[in-house]
Amino acid sequence: MEELETFTQLPIRMDPTSKAVSSTSSSRALTEELATLNQLHKALLTLESPVPPPPVPVNQKRSAQITKLRESGNGEFRKGKHQDAIRYYGLGLQMALSRPLWEPSGLVRDEVAGLYANRAQAHMALQNWVEGSVDAEASVEAKKAGNAKAWWRKGKCLMEMGRLEEAKDWVGRGLEMEGNEADLVGLQKEITEKMKKA
Amino acid sequence: MFDIDWVGLSVPFAYIAVLVGSLITFSSVYRKRKAAKSATLAPWFPPHLQRNIYLSLLHDEPAEGQEKVPKVPDSLLRAALLRRAVEDINRIIQIRSAKQACSTLLQRGSVGDDLWQRFQRAEKEMEEELRDVVMEANALANNWGQSIFQSANEIAANTVFRKRLDEIQAQTESEKQWWEKRRNSIKNEFLKEIESEALSAPPKTQTSKVSSDDDAILVDSPVVNDKGSIRKKKGKK
Repeated sequence: MEELETFTQLPIRMDPTSKAVSSTSSSRALTEELATLNQLHKALLTLESPVPPPPVPVNQKRSAQITKLRESGNGEFRKGKHQDAIRYYGLGLQMALSRPLWEPSGLVRDEVAGLYANRAQAHMALQNWVEGSVDAEASVEAKKAGNAKAWWRKGKCLMEMGRLEEAKDWVGRGLEMEGNEADLVGLQKEITEKMKKA
Repeated sequence: MFDIDWVGLSVPFAYIAVLVGSLITFSSVYRKRKAAKSATLAPWFPPHLQRNIYLSLLHDEPAEGQEKVPKVPDSLLRAALLRRAVEDINRIIQIRSAKQACSTLLQRGSVGDDLWQRFQRAEKEMEEELRDVVMEANALANNWGQSIFQSANEIAANTVFRKRLDEIQAQTESEKQWWEKRRNSIKNEFLKEIESEALSAPPKTQTSKVSSDDDAILVDSPVVNDKGSIRKKKGKK
């Protein structure tokens, strides 16, 4: 960092009407940063208060909507309309991921983990192993511990695609995370048997 | 009785004066050199881009030829300050995670004193920077100083998390293509197998052996590919 009393004057200009900041320099980092800044500025302008509220009291409206979308997805899934279920879960994901960035990230993780895991299940019901595996991995990324279902689902998808080595690796990692979850142990056995046959 | 021998006494006094004087000179010269040396050490972090943007906006001066610049709205300044706070959070995380490693390495003598000094300077500067941001925040909005770093913390965490998710979701296309190819090859092999079985039905035992060999080759080759993809994924993390 430079000295505290000084700073480097950057070649940036603000457009008087749109209030967007742009730069005359060709530095990529600067251009990217300014794009993020403009985005954040726009997001701040939609707020009622001048500054983002502290993260803790969360706006309940969006949470309720997300829960509703997930419930609809679950309903469709139970009826066997997997395509519709996937659509609902997708909408819920969009809703959850478009939360303003200053809202608690733990909350986003929780919501997203559930939605991705459910969508993975719906994809698996349609035998879309690739989508199922990617969604399950995303769910695990959002919530590593206490998410045995998602671990199991990705393992299953990999196994179905014949990627036994990867599946074994993955389930092994899942077992480290989840302890001896019965479903995962079962899946591991299944994979080892398949590997012996191959 | 009290006849002081001033000349004789001046000798020890002169001795003390010279001693103290030389000590003072040494210490001041030494400190100056040390300060100069630490000032020339490379900074721990690269230039603080967000801070520069914020201050550039704050001190916007008219460029040559222009008479005045449009006034930068407060909302934009707040956004810029928030960006600066987010970058500070990233830096604090870096410092915290580096501290333990740094001090251990220093104790073992694996790294030089220079590195430690650079580190400590970065730490001190970070403290100043945080104080400065809180002050600026309070100036821009009432009591914002209390919550700006909470917000910044969530922004930093959310940004990292979303990037990771995007990376994972971006795999879908290539994985799909791979799976499409693989499924087709499995299908073709399967068809071939059926055909060959249909052609040479009588000597059943032999053909089935051959086809099982084919199978083994088929299963083997994608597994090799998979290993490659595992490594790639690990590298990304």
